[in-house]
Amino acid sequence: MKYVLLAVAALVTLAAAVLLGPATVPLGDIVSSPIVWQLRLPRAVLAFLVGGALGVSGVGLQALVRNPLADPFLLGLSGGAGLGAVAAIALDFPGPWALPLAAFVGAVGAMALVYRLGLIGGAELDPRVLLLGGVAVGAFAAAITTAVVSLAEATELRNAFLWLWGGFSGASWTTVLVIAVYAPLPLVVLAAAARPLDLLALGEEPAQYLGADVRRVKRLVYLAASLLTAAAVAVAGVIGFVGLVVPHLCRLVWGRLHRTLFPTAFLAGGILLAAADTLARTVVAPRELPVGIVTALLGVPVFAFLLRRWTVS
Amino acid sequence: MRRWAHRTHLAGLLALAVAACAGGERPASRGGIAVTDDAGRRVTLAAPAQRIVSLLPSFTELLFAIGAGDRLVGRTTWCDYPPEALAVPNVGDGMPPNVEVVAARRPDLVVLYRSGPNVTAAEQLERVGIRTVLLDLNLLEDLGPAARRLGVVTGRRAAADSLSRIMDSLAAQPPAPSTQSLVFIVWDNPPIVIGAGSYLDRLAALAGARNVFHDIGSPTAQVSIETIAARDPDVVAVLSDSAVTPRYAARPEWRAVRAVREARFLFLPGQLFGRPGPRAAEAVRDFRRRLGAAP
Repeated sequence: MKYVLLAVAALVTLAAAVLLGPATVPLGDIVSSPIVWQLRLPRAVLAFLVGGALGVSGVGLQALVRNPLADPFLLGLSGGAGLGAVAAIALDFPGPWALPLAAFVGAVGAMALVYRLGLIGGAELDPRVLLLGGVAVGAFAAAITTAVVSLAEATELRNAFLWLWGGFSGASWTTVLVIAVYAPLPLVVLAAAARPLDLLALGEEPAQYLGADVRRVKRLVYLAASLLTAAAVAVAGVIGFVGLVVPHLCRLVWGRLHRTLFPTAFLAGGILLAAADTLARTVVAPRELPVGIVTALLGVPVFAFLLRRWTVS
Repeated sequence: MRRWAHRTHLAGLLALAVAACAGGERPASRGGIAVTDDAGRRVTLAAPAQRIVSLLPSFTELLFAIGAGDRLVGRTTWCDYPPEALAVPNVGDGMPPNVEVVAARRPDLVVLYRSGPNVTAAEQLERVGIRTVLLDLNLLEDLGPAARRLGVVTGRRAAADSLSRIMDSLAAQPPAPSTQSLVFIVWDNPPIVIGAGSYLDRLAALAGARNVFHDIGSPTAQVSIETIAARDPDVVAVLSDSAVTPRYAARPEWRAVRAVREARFLFLPGQLFGRPGPRAAEAVRDFRRRLGAAP
């Protein structure tokens, strides 16, 4: 039932994203219009895929660090991505894909560093070490980024932050292809870890007794969730909030089992982000709002409502 | 923040010491000079300023244009016109001004663009006994009033007034009949364009080109590629010193915009177009010529 509901909502959202926009496209031309085919449709699909990826990544990381505040970007990824993006502009890397690629490399670099910190002294990805390591690496990367921006003379650098704040202006079939080819592997890895993650919620020792290979599951989940987020950064910048709130939302409505959480978070994240992007493009036309603002304006009231219902019951 | 406050405090002490060594306060003169700046402050000087620090390229150009360029003892990194300006000591990028470096030039007047951080910097300079003027300089119509007041504080009234009249009449000119439409793309992801509340929108109108985002009141705005494609400008104007096609032109999503697809880019050198200045009329002529020569 919930899947039918989510699938219908997803279709409605995608249809709205294709039908609505600042340019007037007659209904009869929807299929042939280059505006729809080259701009609206890839943008809607990309927003949906990125939203889904962030939702799933959030579920995985929250389960891994067993902290409700965990967000896919918490573990230093946004700082690393920012540093990569600024480096691409400051060092003038050539080519139209330099910025996303450098952001991806920066995010993965930060992730690798946090991962390494998480293993120091046999810590075995202890949530506390991971969280502290993530915050520290993120702050360090952000400090270097700010230093580069304030010392360099290129005014373009200031605009690197605009890109970093996230959005789907760069959407095309190529970016859709990038994430569509890349995302399935980490998604499958996460889905396969659904059962052990349920056990992990009981604590690491009980999970171990109940037959989960805790060490291996933690490493796989960490890497898969982070690589998924890094891909999202490369195509859409840092979009906060989706990966934090969507998992909670799904948990409140459909329970804590990861077998259900992963697919529902994918669909709900996709719906939220695609809807937010459609609103961002249309409500203040001819201008456009940064999508992160709309995501928060849309998601927070829903979240607050659910939170209230949940604490009351 | 605390450290910064501490640093500027030190700068103040240093500047006071320098001022004391230089012979203390000047005697108040009766025939003083006074102007009201755009922060609404009454600025009084005993005599025309002799040692001026300009913290905006437009002011540097205006001061040279009214014949007060030889009084400059400090300029920003960005002040690259006229060529003589490059001989003036550089006090940094001015964003925000390094108050200590400015004070060390021992100016009797600092001219600042009115912005939040600059208002704070002006207060700090005043506290160490350096006079400051805060002026607006965003639009074509700001040039005349700015030039006029710079003329008063430098004692170059006649030259400044004639320049002001030229600037005012240019600002009062009706837009030329437009033959082409254009979009100014400042940044590509997210796309940022220039709206009506800007110097460049006005220059384009005077040169006979219609900004397709003239309906947006603010100087700049984020829009979607779809909106740009739907408004279908003839030309994409880019502020750039080199005529190198922007990288985004190779990206598939930008091919939806006809002017990008057909590579109809118009490159405007930043030195002439990137800021309002006394060469506005020249900029309009140059703009018209470039529009005529556009591919």
